Amino acid sequence: MPPFSVQNQSYSSNGGFVKKKSETNVITINVGGQLFQTTKQTLTLAGSNSLLSTISTNSNSIPFIDRDPEIFSILLSLLRTGNLPSKSKLFDLQDLIFEAQFYGLAEFLVSSLSNPSQFEAFNLEKSLILPLSGRDSPSAISTTNSGSVHVAHGSKITSFDWSLKKKSTILTHFNAVDSILALSPSLAAAGATDFSGLQILDLKRGFVRETLNWENQTKSSSTVQAIGSSSDYLFTSFESGRRNSNTIMVFDLQDNFRPVAEIAHGEIYGTDLDSAIPATKLKWIPSYNLLMAAGSHGGPSGVMGNIRLWDIRSGNVHWELNEKIDCFSDVTVSDNLSAIFKVGVNSGEVYFADMRMLGRQWICLGDGRKGYKGKKEGAGSKIESHGNQVFCSKGGDVELWSEVLIGSTRASEDELDERVFKKNLIGRLKDSSENKITNLGFGGNRMIVTRNDQQSVEVWQSSSKGY
Amino acid sequence: MEEQNSRTQHQDRIKLNVGGKLFETTVSTLLSAGPDSLLAALSAREWDNDPVFIDRDPEIFSVLLYLLRTSHLPSTARRFSKQELTEEALYYGVESQFKAAILPPPLSGIDASLIETIRPASDGFPTAFTAGAGDGSVWIAHGGQISGYDWNLLHAGTIRTHLDSITSIRRVWPEVAAVGSDTAAGLHLYDFSSGRRIESAQWTDSSDPRIYKARVLSITDSSTSVFASFECAHKENCILQIDKSTLKIASEIGRLPGNSSKTVVPKKLTYLPESGLIFSSAVSSGAFGYSGFIRLWDPRTREMVWETNEPGSGRSSRFGDSFADVDVEVEELTMFKVCSKSGDVGMADLRNLKDDPWIYLEEKNPSLRNTGGEENNVIHCYRKQVFVSREKGLEVWSRVEQIEEDVENRDFERRCYRRNFVDKVENCREKGMIRRMEGGGDRLFVSREGVEGLEVWESSDLSGAVSF
Repeated sequence: MPPFSVQNQSYSSNGGFVKKKSETNVITINVGGQLFQTTKQTLTLAGSNSLLSTISTNSNSIPFIDRDPEIFSILLSLLRTGNLPSKSKLFDLQDLIFEAQFYGLAEFLVSSLSNPSQFEAFNLEKSLILPLSGRDSPSAISTTNSGSVHVAHGSKITSFDWSLKKKSTILTHFNAVDSILALSPSLAAAGATDFSGLQILDLKRGFVRETLNWENQTKSSSTVQAIGSSSDYLFTSFESGRRNSNTIMVFDLQDNFRPVAEIAHGEIYGTDLDSAIPATKLKWIPSYNLLMAAGSHGGPSGVMGNIRLWDIRSGNVHWELNEKIDCFSDVTVSDNLSAIFKVGVNSGEVYFADMRMLGRQWICLGDGRKGYKGKKEGAGSKIESHGNQVFCSKGGDVELWSEVLIGSTRASEDELDERVFKKNLIGRLKDSSENKITNLGFGGNRMIVTRNDQQSVEVWQSSSKGY
Repeated sequence: MEEQNSRTQHQDRIKLNVGGKLFETTVSTLLSAGPDSLLAALSAREWDNDPVFIDRDPEIFSVLLYLLRTSHLPSTARRFSKQELTEEALYYGVESQFKAAILPPPLSGIDASLIETIRPASDGFPTAFTAGAGDGSVWIAHGGQISGYDWNLLHAGTIRTHLDSITSIRRVWPEVAAVGSDTAAGLHLYDFSSGRRIESAQWTDSSDPRIYKARVLSITDSSTSVFASFECAHKENCILQIDKSTLKIASEIGRLPGNSSKTVVPKKLTYLPESGLIFSSAVSSGAFGYSGFIRLWDPRTREMVWETNEPGSGRSSRFGDSFADVDVEVEELTMFKVCSKSGDVGMADLRNLKDDPWIYLEEKNPSLRNTGGEENNVIHCYRKQVFVSREKGLEVWSRVEQIEEDVENRDFERRCYRRNFVDKVENCREKGMIRRMEGGGDRLFVSREGVEGLEVWESSDLSGAVSF
């Protein structure tokens, strides 16, 4: 942004003012009777689609815009400094969005209010409760980068827009939606473990745009166990209706959900139920070009599972880990930290495996001995990564795991491991709740939490960034 | 001719166009922003009829121009947030004027009130804090995290250290904190901007294998060194001097076995810049009451200069009433202690230390006379005032200004201190016991046992009148 300019003069970089005969780059606009002056550079920040950038090109006469000058002054401040001024609090966010849409500044407003770079993991506070109508508790959530949230509760999906001021609810074919993934603010993929097919739903108009199926050999239905996506592909873990075979289908997001490949096809023969566990979590790891697929299965000898990293181009397993002792209750992968994290179902402790040294076993970040006891302290715990942090739910609390950078070469003197991860409890005393956390999601500068038996969604963001 | 006349007339006038609004001011007003500011740079240019255009919000500029003209903030400043004003002041380069206008007046214990309570977003119980930068900023250690709050008490960031409970912290450079824990070994230096640990120091002794995994109990620093008291598992302790330029251990001072209350690890260290001495003290409480020591060390010779133990060997005029806490007033080289049984405050002149240097401050007001029996007193000296906590309550001893011809403190004994409560009765109800106090800038920070957040006490020149 240019700091300032001088009419008929230009500010040269050597610090002096040099006289220069060139046309002015100061632009005068009359908005609702009030004159505003700004520079061409400031207005071009609004983007080429904006009404304001068209003003900057023709400057013969003072252009008049018949809108409210006060809201315009707020939007102009936003363009100048990148932040909303405090007087914007006098207006409802809805007014600002409406005016921003008129000027073509809506995207600029989104990025300044709900930018993922504003996410401050250590400064999260419970700031909003979004109520859900009806009696169903949220079963699955999905977020987009701009911070909009889709919440499946019962057979309904409620979508909150990025400002969290507006919502819309649609009805689906499912009895209960078990997995949902936002593909865009108005498009989501949804599936259920008791209903055949993956549905691509238009959330604005509330209809099924497409149903994607897996043609399995038994010709039975194909239920959805998990959904994941990369920038190009949509991954879906299907299981046959008879529950004896499963696969991961890869669909092309750029080419109308054309099936591209089928990986991880597994069949169960006889009684060996552990031979093919369907994946219940799919996570794309962009910097490694690998898909993490993890599934677990409770049997008479405890919970067993496996975590596999798939190369989707060749359809081969890059790395595989079978979980027999203290199997994961949930597992996630952090691309930024280059590590896989799990929370053990028996111990309830968090483990990590360094992606750069996959041959090594899990490193427990707590008391690893607890894993051998038969307790199920970690049952139902969720673990998700966002940015440089890993978030893990334990009952009603959220733990934040962060890496401590040890610059000193004398780390061994302190008996520290090569990588140090430390646990932090999120929230204050008043925020703690008894109800067990069922979902964790991250979008924009927010953390989204849903709880058991609560017909609402909690929004956590840093106190200074909330509108 | 006429043109020249008008030119001289307008020589010191300057027009600015800020976001479409015209402002006219004088060059001298703009120059008062300081030589490095944007506004001073603008005033330096050749005078011209065209106003300089600045593409910023005109309303905030009018506030800052008012500030430059009158050196205080107009009431319209309240329409903007602290954050906004700080950012704009930084943009125009007038932050020093802005700071001077927005910072509280000098802290006066007899007229201070609770301004706000800073609460970190998570793990909000402060385990230690440091206001060492002196500009009113504070770094709070809570659990294993350190949260920084700048001079305006705006949250500057939070970092996580590898320690699980930081119990001592000291800001040794503007961006570096020295931290220690009473549950983990070593002194660790963390860079606040990157969140990275840059160095750590451990107390080791090649001739004694028992000296390992020593924990840090207190930290202080001078301009060239960091001093920390270390204690091993078997209670042996010492003060280590760490050189600030090499970050290596420079010397070991005052190694003591720690097997009695007279030789335990110092829990309070203060560097006295005027004399270059280190003030160390510790108090232990046992079945027979409190006992403690005060020692002054010279880090250059590594020798002890003076010491006193309480309960002493009959030297103290108040045998059996040993101190519960002691602190040193760095500016005036005076020690203050609070007695554990009577609750009385005693002072001693560091320049004239004797066997029993204590002079007890008298309370003449019978309604304020100590009843004794309070426990857990904390004493903190700041800006020639002595803040003393009594469980949950907070009182201050301040000196009555005396007009005397001899400025030299010949009459140390005759200094007159009066005692006042800082807080109100309702302030301390339902609150925890005061655990730590520290002054920084013109603020007093107070942390309490089992209470989330850190209290900030400031003096104010606003009456705070309430209208009905």
